[in-house]
Amino acid sequence: MANPIALLLREQYSTPVQQRETSKLGMWIFIMTEIMLFGGLFLAFSVYRMSFPQAFVKGSADMSIVLGSINTAVLICSSFTMALAVYSAETGNRRMLTVFLIATMILGLVFLGIKFTEYYQHYLQHEAPAVWFDHTGPDSGHLEMFFVLYFLMTGLHAVHMLVGEGILTAMVIRNHRGSFSADYYTPVEISGLYWHFVDIIWVFLFAIFYVEGLHLHKL
Amino acid sequence: MTHAISRKTYLFTFLGLLGLTLSTTLLGFVDMGPFNMIAAVGIAACKACLIAAFFMHALIEAKVIRVVLTGGVIWFLILISFTLSDYISRSW
Repeated sequence: MANPIALLLREQYSTPVQQRETSKLGMWIFIMTEIMLFGGLFLAFSVYRMSFPQAFVKGSADMSIVLGSINTAVLICSSFTMALAVYSAETGNRRMLTVFLIATMILGLVFLGIKFTEYYQHYLQHEAPAVWFDHTGPDSGHLEMFFVLYFLMTGLHAVHMLVGEGILTAMVIRNHRGSFSADYYTPVEISGLYWHFVDIIWVFLFAIFYVEGLHLHKL
Repeated sequence: MTHAISRKTYLFTFLGLLGLTLSTTLLGFVDMGPFNMIAAVGIAACKACLIAAFFMHALIEAKVIRVVLTGGVIWFLILISFTLSDYISRSW
């Protein structure tokens, strides 16, 4: 039977601190590549927004600000519970770690549910590019471009959320099996980094898609 | 191990983020022309800084991690600003 302390420290590292710092550095570098992935899409949005401002304001006015704002709040709550999950791991509180991980997952699923409700509403309003899009008028092509970017960017974000759900499921299982303690919780910590990063992406998506046409809403 | 970031700090960060979300939504109802987008993205940047600094512990991480983070953000800004400077100046 191997020594549990030896299991915590892989042979290529001198100290547990070095091992932990290396894992975190790796995750941060991955997050930077993700910034580049989403960055290209944010760039595409900026260029089209500059080229067709009227159509993009019009498209933004068709967003549901209520669902969008609620979703932003839900995701911020999930980031808060994720931060508390990492805190519980840090203090070696395994029960609360499970509670907060599951709370984070539930909030993530609520977010996805609301997101797909929005997609369905856009579909019913014939605002699904290439599937069912009929808007007429001089701007219709540019408006379609707005929705192409909307579905592409929020869709890619939703895929990241699904991946996050999978990662958190793995963390719940590993915690249940007793893999984590106050001495070793690096996987929980870097899962948290991923989750918070996905939250940051949404914060920007909310800002660029939902807000600009808001003053055109008739309340 | 001591906790560099307390639960109280997390709570204030969380409340700050909710407040900024509310202000984004409310500001959107005021017609400020192109400044609507600028204000929304500006507030989003503040929220991103809050999340990175406190939830992601960027403030207290090792220097090398902060270098990676800063480098990534700078490359992203180069991507956006150089491309847009081309598009903006084409009509000049």
